[in-house]
Amino acid sequence: MEQKILKKDEIGKFYNDLVSEYNFYAPIKKKGNIIFEKIEKPEDIEINYLNSKIPPKSVLFPQMEVLFEYTLDEKDVEITDRQDLDQKILIFGIRPCDAYSFQLMANFFSFHGNWQDEIYLKKKENTTLIGIGCNTPRTTCFCTSVEGNPFNKENMDIFLTDLGETYLVEGISDKGKEIVKKLSWLSDATDKNVKKSQELAKQAEESITTKIDTSKIVENLETCFEHPVWEEISEACIGCGSCAYLCPTCTCFDVIDETDQYNNRGRRIRIWDTCQSCLYTLETSGHNPRDTKIQRCRNRIMHKFSYYPTNYELLGCVGCGRCVSVCPANNDLRTILDKIEKIEKEEDEKIVA
Amino acid sequence: MGVEAENKEIENLIRENAKKLLSEKQVDVIIGYSQGTVPLSSTPIIIRKEEDVDKLVWNNLCYINLARYLAPLMPQLCDAEGNSLKIGIVAKGCVGRAINMLAVEKQLNLENIQIIGINCNGNVNRSKIDLEVGEKEILDVSISGDDILVKGKDWEQKFPFDQYVNELCKVCQVKSPSATGETCVGECQELETIHDEFADVAEYESKSTEEKWAYIKDALEPCTLCYSCRQACPVCYCNLCFVDQNLPVWFGKTTQLPDIFIFHLIRAFHLAGRCVACGACSSVCPVGIDLNMITRKLEEIVKKRYDFTSGLNAETVPPMMDFNMEDTEEFMLEED
Repeated sequence: MEQKILKKDEIGKFYNDLVSEYNFYAPIKKKGNIIFEKIEKPEDIEINYLNSKIPPKSVLFPQMEVLFEYTLDEKDVEITDRQDLDQKILIFGIRPCDAYSFQLMANFFSFHGNWQDEIYLKKKENTTLIGIGCNTPRTTCFCTSVEGNPFNKENMDIFLTDLGETYLVEGISDKGKEIVKKLSWLSDATDKNVKKSQELAKQAEESITTKIDTSKIVENLETCFEHPVWEEISEACIGCGSCAYLCPTCTCFDVIDETDQYNNRGRRIRIWDTCQSCLYTLETSGHNPRDTKIQRCRNRIMHKFSYYPTNYELLGCVGCGRCVSVCPANNDLRTILDKIEKIEKEEDEKIVA
Repeated sequence: MGVEAENKEIENLIRENAKKLLSEKQVDVIIGYSQGTVPLSSTPIIIRKEEDVDKLVWNNLCYINLARYLAPLMPQLCDAEGNSLKIGIVAKGCVGRAINMLAVEKQLNLENIQIIGINCNGNVNRSKIDLEVGEKEILDVSISGDDILVKGKDWEQKFPFDQYVNELCKVCQVKSPSATGETCVGECQELETIHDEFADVAEYESKSTEEKWAYIKDALEPCTLCYSCRQACPVCYCNLCFVDQNLPVWFGKTTQLPDIFIFHLIRAFHLAGRCVACGACSSVCPVGIDLNMITRKLEEIVKKRYDFTSGLNAETVPPMMDFNMEDTEEFMLEED
């Protein structure tokens, strides 16, 4: 077995051994918010966190990202592509739901026929995830209803379990196993350690009380596009973008050109977009197929629980509960899904008829 | 009377009046607050039936300014022809101010609005509580006597209400709507003017220009431009906000500080003399940015220069929308 023990006071050593090879990202506390940033010193790591405010998707898919830069003279344009995509990235302390979200994002960024989003995919390929199990999921968490688990190790390279004084370290992927082997100073785990980690995993899973029947929801969404439930669902929404900006699986982006015409240069940037914005899907003609709040709220739910499953046979939500706790109007996703789940078929057919 | 007892009284007043208005068919719907599904929250709700009035609550977690749903009028508040229903609205003082502002700016017809006025006792400063609790999950928040009682799995913490109330609530002088008895049931008052020393702005005012710049830069740095502040603002009702105009593009939309700063700066300009000091913008910010100093400073400038406070009545046009020969203009360059 590849199971090792990392003492909590050895995180600095762990960091020092890896930082020469990787850009080391970890959760830190900034103005009261937990966010993932490239760290300069291991003391900044805030590993005892519930979950980060801004999801770590921002490491690979930042809110603002330069795609390429260009200069032009009278006859020619010269494009400079990104030079940093081969750098190795390490994300330390990521939660299982967020690690899973990288897979869902990768599906999107590699979906479009022959076109692949190289920027995202290259970064993902060069990323190593050292995740940590959730000993105490929040009451807003529902990962077990959306194909996840607080101790899901699948998407990790190395998986840690907080045993109190120490972490149990498990190499999961080949890449992860290699790193664990290299850190030869890690001590061996005992059977007792492993048993404790299994108990913690069981406790964590049992502590998640929100259970959502997503198969019923996916099924109901097929037929309820015009259902009056959407009016009810969008009632309290104030139309801000905090749910989308704090969502680990939202991938929509906008592309803008910043032109410095006085210096004959510019750069193309992508920035996060949100289906809650009035500019989203606004067509050149001035027509917007999603002109009202009702349509925008519907799009958000349909995207995660209908369009995504249709395209990838997976749900587009990882159950992290960020949108639940952040919504200024407390338009709780769990309540929304509950309303959709309860739509009765006959009633629905009556409406359509 | 403690905060807890006050809440009970306010809640009863809301429910009784809501029930009366609905049963007497004076209104078609009531907009109010209902119990939130997560701690430190409440959900705005539309009540259509008399038997549902007990869903209405008052718990010092009622952050959203409900006037926000009146302009633009959301479709749920219109009949099949798109005309406004008769709307009853639970209004703390700042909701009343917003309704007056919207009436002055011809964004709503007061004939369709019936205010249920309450004498607001303030809202909890949730980012301050979040900050102090840190990385522990809050499971329940309630008011116990004069304290905010915050409970987690195996811990609880008490915060004195008067210290952990929103900063704007601390200095609020319009606790109940300023409205006439015709448009308002419950608690209301007819305020002509208010007296405000703006003592809370003094510290900011004593800073040097460099220090002010550093303060604002530091405060706005975490902004993700999600526009929650704008969306929660009852007087930010433009069909197309200046940041969303793309023919031509006026402002950059990246998260670089100049773009963030220009959004907040121009929004502040637009709110001068119009902001109703409800603090919804700060309460809803997902990353906990405190915009109160900007809004208070705006209020101070308008009050001191034009002796105007927004939303005290439904007639007076705010100074930035008006021209008056007597307006002070000491900021103009002097003639030599």
